[in-house]
Amino acid sequence: MFLTVNEENYVHSGDGTIGALLAELGAKPEHSALTVNRDIVFSKDWKSFKLNDGDTVEVLTFVGGG
Amino acid sequence: MLTLGNIEFKSRLILGTGKFSDTETMVKAIEASGTELVTVALRRFNRDKPDDDLCAPLARLKGITLMPNTSGAMNAKEAIRAAQLGRELSGSSFVKVEIHPNPHHLMPDAIETYLAAKELAADGFIVLPYIPADPVLAKKLEDVGCAAVMPLGAAIGSGGGLSTAEMIKLIIRDSNIPVIVDAGLRAPSEAARAMEMGCDACLVNSAIAAARDPSAMAKAFALGVETGFAARQAGLMPKSEIAVASSPLTSFLGK
Repeated sequence: MFLTVNEENYVHSGDGTIGALLAELGAKPEHSALTVNRDIVFSKDWKSFKLNDGDTVEVLTFVGGG
Repeated sequence: MLTLGNIEFKSRLILGTGKFSDTETMVKAIEASGTELVTVALRRFNRDKPDDDLCAPLARLKGITLMPNTSGAMNAKEAIRAAQLGRELSGSSFVKVEIHPNPHHLMPDAIETYLAAKELAADGFIVLPYIPADPVLAKKLEDVGCAAVMPLGAAIGSGGGLSTAEMIKLIIRDSNIPVIVDAGLRAPSEAARAMEMGCDACLVNSAIAAARDPSAMAKAFALGVETGFAARQAGLMPKSEIAVASSPLTSFLGK
């Protein structure tokens, strides 16, 4: 499945669930927030959510800030 | 006690987590400061640096509430989206609304900040907007349900001090919500002065992170905030244009 993840072309070889994508990226699910095609996908919906070919995904986390 | 939303805080010092040389230094500074509220920013996950995220070290700290900021947002719409993502990650309803489209001066956009704050407050967020030191704007933000207002002392990261003191005094005079100086403070004496003036708390980041010894500076700011608040509680003496002698000016020796 071809995706854009954090503005880079990305080939996802899992089952298209959020969990599979985060595992592939090495991102901890409990430390990640997510948008797909600019819409927020809340963690409560991750299990039922399926990514589609061509989706644009943003994976976000906390960094230092004032 | 500092009350923000319905949450009470013993410490009146809020810490930013940016610019620290490493995570361990940041954690030690947070501990030394005694703060109970820290700001964090939301950024894209970096696959090359998976350990950069602050969630794990911050989760280890006891008694700390996270306040995600909306930095990077160029307008109200983006700030609202950032706030929702921040709440999702932090589990906290606190949000520092921060919209500064010009990277040169990082001055807050008053109009977009107001629009975002109004919508987020209505959505149940505990909203603390970072604002220019403008008493009219501050009152309008109070009216739409903000938990506090956070006027700047000087430009972000500048160390310019409490350059807006006179305007902040006007904000304090009319405000029914906490007033927190955010940005610009360089020295603990400036934090003490802000508290003596009537501010309810100070938010400090660069002055601590960029100090030679961040933990020691965090402790110094905690003492500055505490001292200034204690002095205000004690009541500063009135000022006089002329000298007022400490002893009677009569009955001198030899007369």
